[in-house]
Amino acid sequence: MKEIIQIRHLNKSFGEVKAVRDLSFQVKEGELFAFLGVNGAGKSTTINILCGQLAKDSGEIVIDGCRLDRDLDSVKSRLGVVFQNSVLDGALSVYDNLESRAAPYGIVGKAFRDRLSELCSLLDFGDFLKRPVGKLSGGQRRRIDVARALFHRPKILILDEPTTGLDPQTRKTLWEVIASLRRSENMTVFLTTHYMEEAAEADDVVILDAGKIVAEGTPLELKNAYTGDYVTVYGAKEEEIRRLGREYEVLKDAYRLSVPNTGAVTEMILAHPEIFRDYEVTKGKMDDVFLAVTGKKLTGGAGV
Amino acid sequence: MKVALALIKRNRKLFFKDRGMFFTSLITPAVLLVLYVTFLGNVYRDSFTSYLPQQLPLPERLVDGLVGGQLISSLLAISCVTVAFCSNFLAVQDKATGTLKDFRVSPLKPSVLSVSYYLASLFSTLTVCVVATGLCLAYVAAVGWYLSAGDVLLLFLDVLLLVLFGTALSSLINLFLTTQGQISAVGTIVSAGYGFICGAYMPISSFGEGLRKVLSFLPGTYGTSLVRNHAMRGALAELGRQGVPEEAIAGIRDSLDCNLTFFGHTIDLPAMYLVLGGSIVLLLGLYILLNFRMMKRELRK
Repeated sequence: MKEIIQIRHLNKSFGEVKAVRDLSFQVKEGELFAFLGVNGAGKSTTINILCGQLAKDSGEIVIDGCRLDRDLDSVKSRLGVVFQNSVLDGALSVYDNLESRAAPYGIVGKAFRDRLSELCSLLDFGDFLKRPVGKLSGGQRRRIDVARALFHRPKILILDEPTTGLDPQTRKTLWEVIASLRRSENMTVFLTTHYMEEAAEADDVVILDAGKIVAEGTPLELKNAYTGDYVTVYGAKEEEIRRLGREYEVLKDAYRLSVPNTGAVTEMILAHPEIFRDYEVTKGKMDDVFLAVTGKKLTGGAGV
Repeated sequence: MKVALALIKRNRKLFFKDRGMFFTSLITPAVLLVLYVTFLGNVYRDSFTSYLPQQLPLPERLVDGLVGGQLISSLLAISCVTVAFCSNFLAVQDKATGTLKDFRVSPLKPSVLSVSYYLASLFSTLTVCVVATGLCLAYVAAVGWYLSAGDVLLLFLDVLLLVLFGTALSSLINLFLTTQGQISAVGTIVSAGYGFICGAYMPISSFGEGLRKVLSFLPGTYGTSLVRNHAMRGALAELGRQGVPEEAIAGIRDSLDCNLTFFGHTIDLPAMYLVLGGSIVLLLGLYILLNFRMMKRELRK
């Protein structure tokens, strides 16, 4: 698969503060890429450099074959950005907002109306096209933010915490639309999020801490490398569980044991089949990976 | 071109839809109107009559025409600048709210963005000020009309020049503003102060000599004088026809800032146009130069 984003040895400092340190990673075309880190880890700085908002100190960025420092406008036309907070004009209608944001990409007149009609059906906002953006609900406004980012058919969609503050139904709808776009247009999605269940769906994950990459890989690779498995045993007695010689946690109707990997579970089952009458094995979660890698929890907008 | 037009359309709609911004721009003219109704009208009237011979009865309509002319010249002189400042604050608001980021992630040339802010502010201010000029002329027609067609045309030219001046000045100042707090501070200073320093609230001739010399360096002063000359020319000419001595009319003209001096040199109308036009060109040149330098510096950040 083609690498659509290539970042090599990227560095950026603000005075004495090194925001990004020797950052190198690639994003493959069509994949969902999760870029994780607590606030201040360097995510926003990297995204701002990617979008041409900030100059880098050193390093190289190539997006879809275009070098950022040589062909910024080509890079910009390949990117669609959904910002953390909506930056549309609250006093203007949805139509007026989209019209003014599409024009810089050369989308005017009939081309604008055609694309608007496509996005209206895709994101289902035809009913409030004439309503001021400031009077829309959070979910409705987010759909317009996404429509604005998609208007020029970008190859890469950058989503900066797109679902923060949204209700579960709107989050689900948003992810369905994005999944459908990835399938139909092979669009690459570059995601930062505080919801680990969203990061768990990514094809590749990079975790940033203090401007450096501290872990990268697929969610499965990261889980295998940084967390163990859990086996939950039902219908057993506590003295039986104690005999297994593992740390365990008492649940309401069960006991949960931590094991280093799935192989260790197999060994326990073979050694004590009488205890494992009813059980389930689960992998560690991305929250555990994040905690293990950074020593911090990633919760609702701030690292703790 | 289509991009610039779309952005100008957006900026103009935002100015007229944002009631806060729109009404803020009308605060200074409103203050002047309140002052006029409460006491300035009488001050203007007493000031005129003190120059006129007691034994010469003048039609009430002529005195009203004089007072009306002074009022509308003051109103228009300040509106052109304060409305320009308020409509131009959109550029700063876009920085403060992060909307500018949204434009900057698109392949939009920074120069197109700057031009769209400037032209949108210019068109919005012109719209408001042309409507205001129409209303002012209607008021003068009601109280005492002595203007010729030439005076009216020149009045519109003065308004156009003052709008160009106000837009260029506000564009230049706005380059250095980035927050809502700074917008409020500058807005308050301009609204409260501009009426005084351009001679709209009180004629500059009524200030002390030192202050008069300082104010003679400000191009807005000459803009106010141009508007006043054209708004009152007809009524002053009528005074002459009614038998008021030339000296008395000259006294009125001096007291109204129709005749301005710069360190003893009288500035005639063509020179006033030159000062105002020159300052527009200078401010625009500075705006373009600084804008260009700031854009380059932004990209190096």
